[in-house]
Amino acid sequence: MIIRFLQRHREASVALIIVFLFAILGLVDRSYLSFDTVLLVYGNSLILFVLAIGATMVMATHGLDVSVGSIMGLAAVVAGLLMNAGWGIPASIGVALLIGLLCGLFNGALVSLLNVSAIVATLGTLGLYRGLVHLLSGGAWIEGLPENFKALTKAGSLGLSPVAWLVLVLLIVAHLCLRYTAFGRAMFAVGDNREGARLIGIRVNEVQIAAYGLNGLLSALAGVIFASQIGFIPNTAGTGMEMRAIASSVLGGVSLLGGTGTVLGAALGAYFMTSIDSILVLLRLEAYWNDIIAGAILLVVLITDGKIREAVDHHLRYQKYRKFIDPQAAGQHADAAKAAARPLNTTLETSEARK
Amino acid sequence: MRLHPALKRWESVLALLLIAEILLFGAINPVFLQPSMLLYATSDFIHIGITALALTLVIITGGIDLSLGSVMGLSAITLGILWVDGVDIWGAAVAALAVGTLGGVFNAVAIHLSKVNPLVITLGTGFLYGGAALVLSGLAGATGYEGISNFDPAFVNLANLQVVGLPLPFALFLALTVGFMALLHRTRFGRYVYLIGQNPRAAAYAGTPVFRTLVVAYALTSLMAALSGLILASYFGSARSDFGTTALMPAITAVVLGGTSIYGGSGTILGTALAALLVGYLQTGLQLVGVSSHVSSALSGGLLVIVVALRSLSEMGRVWFQHRRVLRNVAAE
Repeated sequence: MIIRFLQRHREASVALIIVFLFAILGLVDRSYLSFDTVLLVYGNSLILFVLAIGATMVMATHGLDVSVGSIMGLAAVVAGLLMNAGWGIPASIGVALLIGLLCGLFNGALVSLLNVSAIVATLGTLGLYRGLVHLLSGGAWIEGLPENFKALTKAGSLGLSPVAWLVLVLLIVAHLCLRYTAFGRAMFAVGDNREGARLIGIRVNEVQIAAYGLNGLLSALAGVIFASQIGFIPNTAGTGMEMRAIASSVLGGVSLLGGTGTVLGAALGAYFMTSIDSILVLLRLEAYWNDIIAGAILLVVLITDGKIREAVDHHLRYQKYRKFIDPQAAGQHADAAKAAARPLNTTLETSEARK
Repeated sequence: MRLHPALKRWESVLALLLIAEILLFGAINPVFLQPSMLLYATSDFIHIGITALALTLVIITGGIDLSLGSVMGLSAITLGILWVDGVDIWGAAVAALAVGTLGGVFNAVAIHLSKVNPLVITLGTGFLYGGAALVLSGLAGATGYEGISNFDPAFVNLANLQVVGLPLPFALFLALTVGFMALLHRTRFGRYVYLIGQNPRAAAYAGTPVFRTLVVAYALTSLMAALSGLILASYFGSARSDFGTTALMPAITAVVLGGTSIYGGSGTILGTALAALLVGYLQTGLQLVGVSSHVSSALSGGLLVIVVALRSLSEMGRVWFQHRRVLRNVAAE
């Protein structure tokens, strides 16, 4: 019963793990267990939230984008250079987002129009965009960003910064869009069955390119948030974020094979990835334990999930063919049916026992 | 004009590209054409080639290994920790290789048990092994990226040793290329690798030892990654946990550029070896001409995009011409 519920709501299992993490924190020191801690982790995971939304869209179309870290860096550098050149903050951010959108559309065109496999295409653009970062910045850090820009991520009303409110709105809008609008459903349809989606009248290529384009736009936003949070822009801004974004989404139940997943799940995954970080700091453990714990939990979740899915498949197959292998229903052929059913029954029993 | 069949192969194109590239850089800067320069430049990138050779097997089976970068760091750190604890350097090296191999076996077992996409599983184990390397170096007090150094001089000299006039890492790469070619193209195991990549279900029904083949392929990839970590430790004279972070993407690039299908089922070792040299020399050549290393990495990214897009376009064009010919024949009748 519980397993069935967790299977249907993958988000719930991540939520459980997060609650568990906070429970450990509470056991160590009651005073940490406050709304402030929750907000602190939320503030630290803004970048990953934004990236996870994009990753969910791309993965829904059975794609993958490993270039998001480089797009982040590129957008941050563009915004930084323009601001230091005297441009207004909104204009600089606008141009940075536009660059991100173009990068994403280029990825989408490679994948969808030229039929290059997603991982190979974005692997190439990962290097390409990172090189552009170095070309633009000339290899130097960009410093001296305007104070008003940094203030965008300083805590404001109700303990949340303006950007944090924006991300919250984005999460809700993206979740609703992907679940309830035609465009959102089209992405999942393309990922689940590309040819089938084409036959029911979905513009497959456009949907795919749009998913990559939006992902590029969101990555650029993540880059801008990054620049605002740390106040300067190193050349390595965003490296390695692609793996964290993909891991967050996968943890939250978005399938790399396309067609399933929710933004809510991906966001919870992202929240979990960050909460390990923050909680280790609060527990006064060295930060280097982070990756090994994240990796171990990721693997445990993935392997259990795979096992549960296998068991559910077995169960469904059993329901489908039960009338053929049930001795009562089979009537006079009972003996033959029983003999035939034996191998299937034993596998079913083991899978039931495992549950 | 009909081309000789050997010239139509992707490997010939790569070989021609490699020669053209060396000649081009040589024309700009004659230093590049000196044999010693060409040979010793390989030490900067040959670890990527060595890993890519084994990664070819995994990609042909339809899988992928994203954890190999972490394994490089883990093996280097294992070596460093054991050396600091007073273990003989050769014993430590063997232990580091063993740790790497175990990582590969764990990858294969996890993929087999969970039936989850290898991309996802190795993403997770990548975090795990990279995290283990960080924890080990942290516990040893080598926090941050300072690393562990002061190795046995005999070990550090290894990377600069000459074997029949070749630097040892490069000689190792050539020997491994021949070894992997024999393994993939001349043994039953090699045929199983292709069969699993073509159609895993058919392979299973045909009685192919799918699990065993996958374990060997992933274990070999991790072993080669661990070996690369040791080569880097010897070359730089220190062991760091972040050694492999920049090696993962170039290794996949070399395999894909070498003509292996990312979906599995086809590819050759020779193609991977040539592509690894092509990408490596591109980086070295550009640096020699005065382009910064970061921009040259952008250009190799661009090269990957262009080559793969062109191959895809030519495939689409071929299908289109075929369709047209069939239609015309039908119309003529």
